[in-house]
Amino acid sequence: MRTMPIRPFLPPYLLERIAGSRNARQRDRAYRTLHDDQGFRARAGAAELPEGSARRGEPVRHVHSAGHTRELPGERVRSEGEEASGDPAVDEAYQGLGATYALYWEAFQRHSLDDRGMALLATVHYGEDYENAFWDGRQMVFGDGDGELFNRFTIALDIIAHELTHGVIQHEAALVYADQAGALNESLADVFGSLVKQHRLGQDVESADWLIGAGLFTDRVEGQALRSMAAPGTAYDDPLLGRDPQPGHMRDFVETQDDNGGVHINSGIPNRAFHHAAMALGGHAWEEAGQVWYDTLVDERLARNSDFVAFAELTLDNAGRRFGTDGEVRRAVHEAWRAVGVLS
Amino acid sequence: MNADDGAPRLTRASVLRLSREGGVAHMPGLARPRRIRCDRCSEAQRAELQALLDEAARYGERQVPGADRRLLHLGVEDGSETPVWSLTVAEDSVSDSLLRWWRLALSEPFSADESGPA
Ligand SMILES: [Zn+2]
Repeated sequence: MRTMPIRPFLPPYLLERIAGSRNARQRDRAYRTLHDDQGFRARAGAAELPEGSARRGEPVRHVHSAGHTRELPGERVRSEGEEASGDPAVDEAYQGLGATYALYWEAFQRHSLDDRGMALLATVHYGEDYENAFWDGRQMVFGDGDGELFNRFTIALDIIAHELTHGVIQHEAALVYADQAGALNESLADVFGSLVKQHRLGQDVESADWLIGAGLFTDRVEGQALRSMAAPGTAYDDPLLGRDPQPGHMRDFVETQDDNGGVHINSGIPNRAFHHAAMALGGHAWEEAGQVWYDTLVDERLARNSDFVAFAELTLDNAGRRFGTDGEVRRAVHEAWRAVGVLS
Repeated sequence: MNADDGAPRLTRASVLRLSREGGVAHMPGLARPRRIRCDRCSEAQRAELQALLDEAARYGERQVPGADRRLLHLGVEDGSETPVWSLTVAEDSVSDSLLRWWRLALSEPFSADESGPA
């Protein structure tokens, strides 16, 4: 058995720096995290993952069922190389883990979440009528939905890949999960979530739907998905769910204390920038725009508390390094950040 | 209004406020606060709510690792709608029963006067 390298979610020095800052809301949140993280680190020793994959290019997957409890990881149902279980949630999760591994390996030569072959672990049938999917710091967790508004969360491949990408981010920039850094964290999870789906379906930028979570809503919901990367703010408008609150431009940036400072709200802005760049470049989005975003995600200069401008500037630099400083890719990326009001 | 003091004793005049936020998407309609009026609950229901609040208060406010987790904000108001206590907990750290109450709070007789979004 090999233990997964557990990293603190915020390094104590950064927390102390935020705690000394003038923004009271940020400060309160930082104090809370500083306090809580000690508890988490104390427990972290107990978290062990099954052995990972020693062969680059091959994943190790394990799908478990929580049997409608909230016990993690639950009972193991299907592991790498085993036949389909016949349980749609289990088999969708297994396929989704594979498709996510495939994009990261084939497009970016990344060997699982940590680039060291870490086992991919998912639990399905979590909780009762549970309408969410999340990354718990070491594995993905999927609910079956309530059947009223939400279907089971494994239906959407991009959501599976979204959750796994949180694991990649945790091993790389470890962007703070609040405010603009948190919105970048969310946006990267959407970008690579969408790219996994496009890669799996062999789609070019024109045929991709650029939606996040299509298929999750039941017929009773007036909406097509959780988010739209092409047109943030238009994914749903429903009496019970309310209206999609995502902005697509800095002039509509939402200042809020909800949702960790709007991490799932303001992510619409960088999402739309990615869509803009990908559409301008054409072809397969993972080949150029996706490569630039990946290079930025793993760039050591990407600080944990980066804001949109810092991230955008790094994408420009990476576009120049990989595709030429006078090239079409760098120009398209620059134009995309201008279009959403992040760069001038 | 301090969570460290433990949950207050619920009376018939108390109103419990529940709101849920976060998760893989922020949906304004689902994040709206819901209210449970103790004067519309039986003694047994009020005792159950008290036990759930006490349990949540013992667990306390601590952040959990990861992303797309959901939080549950708990608040107690006195009869004149003045907030007297509040607590924010990770949803999967508290009893399933609190979520059942959150679901119930959608429908009568618990939430006739649900307030709008902030
Ligand atoms: Zn997320």
